[in-house]
Amino acid sequence: MTRFSAILAATLVTAAAVGCTHDAAPVRTAANDAARAKPNAPRDFSSADVDVLLKKAWAEKGVSPSAPVDDATFLRRAWVDIVGTIPPADDVTKFLADASPNKRAQLVDALLASPAYAEHWADYWEDELMGQARQGDIDRLALRLWLRDQFAKSVAWDKIVYALVTASGQNSVGGERAKSMGEAERAIAKSDTPINGAVNYVLKYRDTPQDWAGSASKTFLGVQIQCAQCHDHKTEKWKKDDFQKFAASFMRAQTLPLDGPMMKGIKRALVRDIDRPLPRFMRDMDLQAIGRATPTALDGTPMTGNVRDAVGQWMTASPLFARAAVNRMWGHFLGRGFVDPFDDLRPSNPAEAPELEDALSKDFASHHYDLKRLIKTIALSQAYGLSTGAGTPVLWSKFRASPLGPNELLDAVIDATGVDDALRRLGRFNVEEITEKLRTLYGFVFDVDEEFDRPTFEGTITQALIQLNGRLVAGGSAALPGSAVANAARADLTDAQRVEALYLRTLSRRPAKDELDSWTKYLAHPPPIADPIAKAPRAKNDPLARVAEKIPETRDPKVAALEDLMWTLLNSSEFVLNH
Amino acid sequence: MIYGAAGFFGALLSRRARADVAPPKAKAMILLWMNGGPSHLETWDPKPGHLNGGPTKAIRTALPGLSISEHMPHVAQIANKLAVVRAMSSKEGNHQRAQYLMHTGYAPTPTVVHPSLGGWVSKKLGAPHNGLPAFVSLGGPSFGAGFLGVGNGPFVVQRAGAQPDNVSPATGTDRFARRQELLAQAEQRFARESGSPMVDDRRAVFARAVSLMGSRDLGAFDVSQEPESVKKDYGDTDFGRGCIVARRLVSAGVRFVEVVQDGWDTHQNNFDRTKKQLDIVDPATAALIKDLDQRGLLASTLVVWLGDFGRTPRINGNDGRDHYPQAWSCAMAGGGIKPGLVGATDAGGEKIVGQTYGVPDLLATCATLLGLDPHEEAMSQVGRPIAVTDGGQPITAVL
Repeated sequence: MTRFSAILAATLVTAAAVGCTHDAAPVRTAANDAARAKPNAPRDFSSADVDVLLKKAWAEKGVSPSAPVDDATFLRRAWVDIVGTIPPADDVTKFLADASPNKRAQLVDALLASPAYAEHWADYWEDELMGQARQGDIDRLALRLWLRDQFAKSVAWDKIVYALVTASGQNSVGGERAKSMGEAERAIAKSDTPINGAVNYVLKYRDTPQDWAGSASKTFLGVQIQCAQCHDHKTEKWKKDDFQKFAASFMRAQTLPLDGPMMKGIKRALVRDIDRPLPRFMRDMDLQAIGRATPTALDGTPMTGNVRDAVGQWMTASPLFARAAVNRMWGHFLGRGFVDPFDDLRPSNPAEAPELEDALSKDFASHHYDLKRLIKTIALSQAYGLSTGAGTPVLWSKFRASPLGPNELLDAVIDATGVDDALRRLGRFNVEEITEKLRTLYGFVFDVDEEFDRPTFEGTITQALIQLNGRLVAGGSAALPGSAVANAARADLTDAQRVEALYLRTLSRRPAKDELDSWTKYLAHPPPIADPIAKAPRAKNDPLARVAEKIPETRDPKVAALEDLMWTLLNSSEFVLNH
Repeated sequence: MIYGAAGFFGALLSRRARADVAPPKAKAMILLWMNGGPSHLETWDPKPGHLNGGPTKAIRTALPGLSISEHMPHVAQIANKLAVVRAMSSKEGNHQRAQYLMHTGYAPTPTVVHPSLGGWVSKKLGAPHNGLPAFVSLGGPSFGAGFLGVGNGPFVVQRAGAQPDNVSPATGTDRFARRQELLAQAEQRFARESGSPMVDDRRAVFARAVSLMGSRDLGAFDVSQEPESVKKDYGDTDFGRGCIVARRLVSAGVRFVEVVQDGWDTHQNNFDRTKKQLDIVDPATAALIKDLDQRGLLASTLVVWLGDFGRTPRINGNDGRDHYPQAWSCAMAGGGIKPGLVGATDAGGEKIVGQTYGVPDLLATCATLLGLDPHEEAMSQVGRPIAVTDGGQPITAVL
């Protein structure tokens, strides 16, 4: 075995289950593909199988699982994790009233089939791939639209990643930056030149092929080889030489600018491959060594021909590819991957429940890397339906609460409050544009690192201030016509119905008796209205700054009390956490 | 006890001897961040006799032996308070990587997010007791505290001079207080029901936010009360106002303030553009240092003037200069530094002559002056210990 494949084999061996006959690092061949498609391939691995393996692991560790959660909690969890927002009130009441024994499976199927699924995972992957990269030639909306298309069509995960890594063509229609997804979509449809949104991922790394190689390895294979960029890895066997040979496959993507220097707007660019490292990289002292290295995959396989194509194929056929995806998904749903952080697979970071990790990885690979199948298997497992509780959750025996990500939080606030409907009614506001600006603001302020298991809540003062005093929560709590609060204030409802309506919209459950009692008391004897206050100075970056002027402060103490209830619910941990 | 100069600083660096050593001079740091990479030939290291120097002339300053760009007349007058280091060198010529390096002392790697110096200062020196944060960034996002937690990251104010966004409630104060109570009840209930420790963590963050809202020193962010003459000295610019706010914040106990001036990336039309930059930065920098001095704050406030990298000494075809990390300058004032000129470049500003200093050395110098041990380690998320600096050695000429 070469040194490279020894490293890879060691990584795989830690995941090898008892009785596993899988060979180390198979190279993708027609024979392998045929073997996968054979009728006597390993039998399907289901949620019930997950449960069996976890029960075994729990018994071995001497832990018992916490109690299962009720339907309302499961519903909200599944919505947040699969489609990135909270369920509308009607979905809550329907689900709670549904008596069918397999309603949770039906729920998961419905969520996976919804357009919101594609939107959510497009958002997720746009953030994951691009971070805060927003330089002149990057069209994030084009990338997001491309991703949405892939998820909507249920394209296999290996095909999606291959298309990203090998993307070429034109990045954008250019010109002024579109202010909403709809606008971007229309512009692309009208374009004579075909646009490949995936190219924007490549453009992020147009000047830093070493970072591209490192991040592709980390994101898609869970192998953090970039430590070996500057020196031999301190704890693993990766040498600088290995990194350079791997990074060599990322040196040949040429970016041809189609627009000259521009003050604003998106610069159009064309990406294509040439047959040698880019000359400008070879003039750089640090990149020269990478350029001179022979393009080689992490297991020693030589990359020949179009090396970017070769490395794309190699990556998406590697067993690490399936393992990395499974760890990421398991971590997303259960709060901690088999490996923690979930993109750090290495022999010195062994997986918990390796038998389960291996079974899920094999099943994922043998079913054409079908993400929806993987999500369904995880979502219907016993572990995903457990309650949170005090103490450290060992082996997922308790559910881990975690803060909603920025997009989820934003969508949850908008959906709970109906503030977008209210704004549309006010007219003169382009709600799509405002939402897009809010997305950028929230993306920056509420950025979270999902790949680590984070037992503590890490919030900043800025986040807290936006939630306590920001215009979105303020506007969302206000009784604007068309909003949730205004609807709850309708004359024909009882106070109990009002309280229930707002709980269903925000916390996706009915209020408990004690909550109902204290809130109906509050509504029955609301505090008097104070004199109007001077409006706080406009927050310069607040996309809702103009809107704030249009929100009159209510003179009705009862309506004000309802606004207080909505504000409290939106700021509560129960709303902001996925639990 | 009296220590010789070398003995004193040697003791400062030795962890065992810490108890015997005088307390650090600097209680706070102001980082004047020149985003985009300021040309060293148009600022601290002009080369008027050389082809590389272009049209930039040099002027003498209050520091004997130091001549700087003709477009920094205000700074020239107070240069006797400055340590100017002309022998800085680094390896990162890409903006994002260089900015990360300058703020954290490490080259970026995807495995670990290194804490910025501001983050270390926040963690080690702590926030003042008046509700203000320990680390504030004015005019730019700065860099967070990495694995030291977002609680030690910067509180960002985009445009300095007025109250930060969202510090006033959207309703009256009575109603806000009432809502706080309602929220507290809901939180207590959920903490009980869920058993999740996150609820209490979150309440702690909200409590800090409310503390800030009610801080008696919240006005430190606001320059409206400053006399017109002061505002004029610093300049009617975002950076000028940022410097006033930095002084106010440091007076109120904030530990690390970053003030950002963008626009230094002069690949084209370098000479006109750097002059415009200096029209903003020169008066503000000088006013800040003078102001701190007059208020008796300079000795306890370390001021550092720094950017991504220098710029190519050979002028390009667009009358501009490109990125040049191989040789560049930075300047320091206050906080116990020893004024003087440190290091030199060759006649054309291309290579350093004599001793070279790297970014870890600069950060080690700052850390030392602030009373932080440059080699103290903290455990990162991936189980790898990370020190305040990447093996940096303090620049003894500046201490």
